[in-house]
Amino acid sequence: MDRREFLRAMGGTMMLPATLGAQSASRATVLYDGRAIVLNRATADGDALWIQTADLSSINGFELKPQGACREDICIPIPRPMINGTRFNLSAFAQRVGQRVVADPVMRVWSFGEIPVVRGAFLESRQSPDFSVPDRKGRLVRLSQFRGRKLLVVTWASW
Amino acid sequence: VPTGVWIDERGRVVRPGEPAWTTSRTSTFGGKALVTEGAEYVAAIRDWVAKGDKSVYALSDAEFARRVQPRSPNEVDAEANFALAVWFHHGKHPELAKKHFERAQQLNPDDWNYHRQDWSFTPGEAGAKWLDKFQKLEAPYYPKLELKPKPDGRD
Repeated sequence: MDRREFLRAMGGTMMLPATLGAQSASRATVLYDGRAIVLNRATADGDALWIQTADLSSINGFELKPQGACREDICIPIPRPMINGTRFNLSAFAQRVGQRVVADPVMRVWSFGEIPVVRGAFLESRQSPDFSVPDRKGRLVRLSQFRGRKLLVVTWASW
Repeated sequence: VPTGVWIDERGRVVRPGEPAWTTSRTSTFGGKALVTEGAEYVAAIRDWVAKGDKSVYALSDAEFARRVQPRSPNEVDAEANFALAVWFHHGKHPELAKKHFERAQQLNPDDWNYHRQDWSFTPGEAGAKWLDKFQKLEAPYYPKLELKPKPDGRD
């Protein structure tokens, strides 16, 4: 497999290119953490992306609670202007948590970088994220299945 | 080129990603040495398997944090641009993909991944571009293993 094929294959597993095409005014795509999340009820105000609050957790794992936007032990207080009815200003949230964003509002796609506070939480706990990959027979294998054993996780790239 | 991460029985990352060679070899290319340090790495794994947290290769929290440095704004921006480029590439928007592939390389010129993915679209020029960058490198092409923490914890 040459690199172009590899790129195509990798992208195909992480993102859904078929969704990039004629975009309706309420449709947007968010790229975050190697995934593409298609939102059907999002609105753009300039570069700012407003999403349905209910979609927040599917994007970055945060949920809106009375004390703020929370993910595990992390809670970020949310000022009122960031919420409008059922809508949530995802771009303002990114700015609040120091998350970088590259957007193409014309194509209705927003690419978000890592969230520093989430990375900081990893440094503190050092807990490996749980993920799954197919084995050689195509069966999904989760990292957490190996809890209780030492693991050496090896990835390869040609360079 | 293998990259290895060590994870203990509790799901805790013991060592972050680093070259995970299993054989030691030195070869030369374009007048520069390419060194793989497999024997040392395998010996370190064996030590950790036998001694667990007591192994000198099990990194302390301070040493782990030192090695997993926060990424700079440019590095994070490069990653976001690269993800966007891949997205446009799959969506058959080559001009938009090119714009963001190039931006990722400008923002983080030290990341070979961005160069090599972009160069894969112009395979006729890729070899010359790679060789040019390779020969200008001051650091080793394959990162040198840093198996044990520095004695005083300083850089």
